[in-house]
Amino acid sequence: MLKINNATKSFAGIVAVDGCSFEIKKGTISALIGPNGAGKTTLFNCISRIYPIDSGEIIYKDRRLDLMPTHKIARLGIGRSFQITRTLDHLSVTENLVLHTAGGIGSHLLLPAITMENRQKAGEIMEFLGISALADMDMGSLSFGQKKLLDLGTVLMADPELILLDEPAAGVNLRLLEDIIEKLVTLKNQGKTIFLIEHNMDLVMEISDEVIVMSAGMIIAQGQPTEIQKNAEVLDAYLGTNA
Amino acid sequence: MISLICLPIVQFFGNYNYVIHMVLFSFLYITMSSSWNIIGGYGGFISIGHNVFFGIGAYFSGFIYARYGISPFYTAVFAGMIATVFGFAIGLITLRVKGPSFIISSIALLMIFRTLFDRWELVGGAHGITLPHNTLSVEWSKIPHYYALLILMVLSIYLSWYVRHSKFGLALRSISHDEIKSEVTGINIKIIKVTAYALSAYLIGAAGAIWGDYLTYVRPNIFFIILIAANMVLMCILGGKGTVTGPIIGTIVMIFINEFILANFGASELNIFFTGLLMILTLLYFPDGIIGSLKKRKLLPGFLDWG
Repeated sequence: MLKINNATKSFAGIVAVDGCSFEIKKGTISALIGPNGAGKTTLFNCISRIYPIDSGEIIYKDRRLDLMPTHKIARLGIGRSFQITRTLDHLSVTENLVLHTAGGIGSHLLLPAITMENRQKAGEIMEFLGISALADMDMGSLSFGQKKLLDLGTVLMADPELILLDEPAAGVNLRLLEDIIEKLVTLKNQGKTIFLIEHNMDLVMEISDEVIVMSAGMIIAQGQPTEIQKNAEVLDAYLGTNA
Repeated sequence: MISLICLPIVQFFGNYNYVIHMVLFSFLYITMSSSWNIIGGYGGFISIGHNVFFGIGAYFSGFIYARYGISPFYTAVFAGMIATVFGFAIGLITLRVKGPSFIISSIALLMIFRTLFDRWELVGGAHGITLPHNTLSVEWSKIPHYYALLILMVLSIYLSWYVRHSKFGLALRSISHDEIKSEVTGINIKIIKVTAYALSAYLIGAAGAIWGDYLTYVRPNIFFIILIAANMVLMCILGGKGTVTGPIIGTIVMIFINEFILANFGASELNIFFTGLLMILTLLYFPDGIIGSLKKRKLLPGFLDWG
């Protein structure tokens, strides 16, 4: 579904993503792991084309994402969240959720910001995430965990086929973590493809079908969670020794 | 609204030109601050050169009036269109940057236009264009401008309200706080920004055409001065930028205070001192402007809460 071919990205001589190649299969949950600074978020930013890649290809359903402007990628059915939640605090919760409906160019931009249909859909998503009570609150008054869930909500609102999540479990408490895991599995069962960056190994090993390990900009291993756990190179990258 | 439509009746009972002047002057600035609010308030691009469009509108209609005798009342619609076209072209260049860089580029834009019109002989250079007076008697000579500016003001408030509550406005408000998030969500940030900028130029251009006719002259040192743009910005900040009613309230308060000081203390420039003082006090006690801060504290009366 998503295919990365030899993608490279460097910043002023420092190679952040170094010739990465892998493929994400439809209907799976894949995790991208690796030590801090390995280039995981940069790779995500290349997929969303927040950064253009220097060389290589990023292909989604036979379309070259690396040649496409950022806003068009969203409209192909790719949604993403950010490591540091980027909710818009000066907008209401519902406005945050319906943001994707203001995408593109056309007469739909003249419609009211939140139509009845949008409101209904936002209600469904909030119910799915178990945060219906937040509907009328100000975004700025929400807690970190609530924003984290809403961030996932804004991604789901657009009904994407491929969901990119940058550390969905970072900084959330155990109960919320269980919630998030449950939601992700439900989404997978609904046929969505999920690609996530995560440091929480329990989560990664529990839900992933495939794990991709990145270190110093390169893909050093790819495989099922059980294989990855035994991979010497991976342990080396994480622990920094040849233990 | 009805009282505003009926106000000119006072002229039957005497000469209230001063009142008429102050009210139509307020119409002018509400039109401009509400229009500015679209790009500056909702979009977050603080343009301190927005009176460029005011000047473009005035020069366009003034030139046609002086040369071909077609009144600016007929050409104001086209003056707005010309301003919009310039808005698109300028926006495509200046909106690539944001924050302080954008502010500086907007000031530079104003300077470019000032210099250009100061030296452009076809439109009279620094002397500008002198326009014929209308033939109405002194009590009634301001009335056509009064109604024209009233119409522009109503249109500008409606436009501002419409943008605020539309998906276009949602995209714009999203861009103002996080361009990357907006883009990743699917918003075409470039087109939205440039359209908002051009849209905000339309009524300012049309108002320029009417104002040129009102003054009976169009000169660079009247139209291309930073004071006009600074007023639009300050009025919006005072009332609450990014709200529909903020620019209206800000304009009224600022014009009233300015005029009150002028009337009581004469042309002593104390009005400038008090305007500054007012801004400091507002920013201290109403950091989001009068309307914005009242709304945040949930003290805003319903009739002023238009979003």
